[in-house]
Amino acid sequence: MRNLLNFLARYNNLIIFLILEGIAFYLLATRNNYHNTRMVNGVRGMTRGIEKRINNTRSYLSLHEINEKLAAENVALRNNIVQMGRKQNSLFFSVDDSLYKQQYQHKSAEAIENSINRQKNFFTINKGEQQGIKVDMAVISANSVAGVIIGCSRNYSVAMSLLNLDFKLSARIRSNGYFGSLNWDGRDYRYATLSEIPQHVLVNVGDTIETTGYSAIFPEGAIVGTVSDYEKFGGDFYKITVLLMTDFKKLHFVDVIGNMKKKEQLELEKLFK
Amino acid sequence: MINSFLRFALIFILLILLQILLFNNIQFSGYVNPYVYIMFILLLPVEIPSWVLLLLSFATGLIMDFFTGSPGMHTSATVLAGFVRPYVLRLVSPRDGYESGSDPSMLIYGFRWFLSYTLLIVLIHHTTLFYFEVFRFADFFRTMLRVILSTLFSMTFILLIEFYRKGK
Repeated sequence: MRNLLNFLARYNNLIIFLILEGIAFYLLATRNNYHNTRMVNGVRGMTRGIEKRINNTRSYLSLHEINEKLAAENVALRNNIVQMGRKQNSLFFSVDDSLYKQQYQHKSAEAIENSINRQKNFFTINKGEQQGIKVDMAVISANSVAGVIIGCSRNYSVAMSLLNLDFKLSARIRSNGYFGSLNWDGRDYRYATLSEIPQHVLVNVGDTIETTGYSAIFPEGAIVGTVSDYEKFGGDFYKITVLLMTDFKKLHFVDVIGNMKKKEQLELEKLFK
Repeated sequence: MINSFLRFALIFILLILLQILLFNNIQFSGYVNPYVYIMFILLLPVEIPSWVLLLLSFATGLIMDFFTGSPGMHTSATVLAGFVRPYVLRLVSPRDGYESGSDPSMLIYGFRWFLSYTLLIVLIHHTTLFYFEVFRFADFFRTMLRVILSTLFSMTFILLIEFYRKGK
């Protein structure tokens, strides 16, 4: 007994150190489950007030740029309206029930917290369950991929950024339709890597990379970026470096996209797996 | 006693706020990310009981993890830093030993002593932090580059703050 007490007295620092480090490791190991939304919400909830204030300042300072972007988006949307009107004026046109055909629902939101300098980046947006945001919805910024919602509270949501080692996206080359898997390698916030494109495919620098829509999260054809470089990798595949369209350093106004037919698709796919 | 407790509480709050409001927003090319809050662990009195030091390091890391949304990452790094601090202090001890009841500050023990003391602990802290962040050895050398660059930046800011304290 005395020996034990002596031992404890002698090594008490080491024991406390091991216990505390053990707790830290436990936290570190369990947080890998990113869909553990309670954790995300609980942790982020405490600091949200401060982040909101920081964001207010930042958003004021970048108002000019944001205005320009919104104006450009308005122009693009107006052009779309003109084209639609032209279609309606033609002699024959089919009537589609718009409610029946609508597959994706857009909601605009603001990113109030964002990072690019970690290996696993997340951002927070200012809309949550009450505004109809749900886990696994897609987040885009001016029609280019930004992230996926992984946790919602009443008025806020946390999204996993494309700049996250755990983020995987099914993407394809627009010009020929070959698809591969896109992820970030943790290096530069402007570039990501597209792999699994076979070597017989013709790839050019400047080709547009877009989403496939296979995952039922991102709609088909959302832009990811352009090919900036490619090299032969292993025996059969290219390793394509993609210049990302989204500037994550300026991420502010985003659209959250919900797929209304996702449940149907997933249930059907489950039957055959 | 109460006085010094208040002083360290103030330093603690100031450093955490500086880290969250200022240094976490420095996102320079994705490589450099100064973590200056570790200075709190550096500044605690020389003769502080080790278990207090460990608990304070744990609390510091936990609070940082709350603010960065990365449970366990900062905590494991700060607890290690708190654990090695007594050994580092012994390693770099000045010729006449430490004065009883003193703080490890540049004012008392000089620039060179402070530099080596700080550099060792910051390096240990940053190495743990960045390797746990990546959590794999695939990009070993790139992570090492991040550690070195960030350590340089953190050291610069810590020395600046220390010079400011000395000047006052």
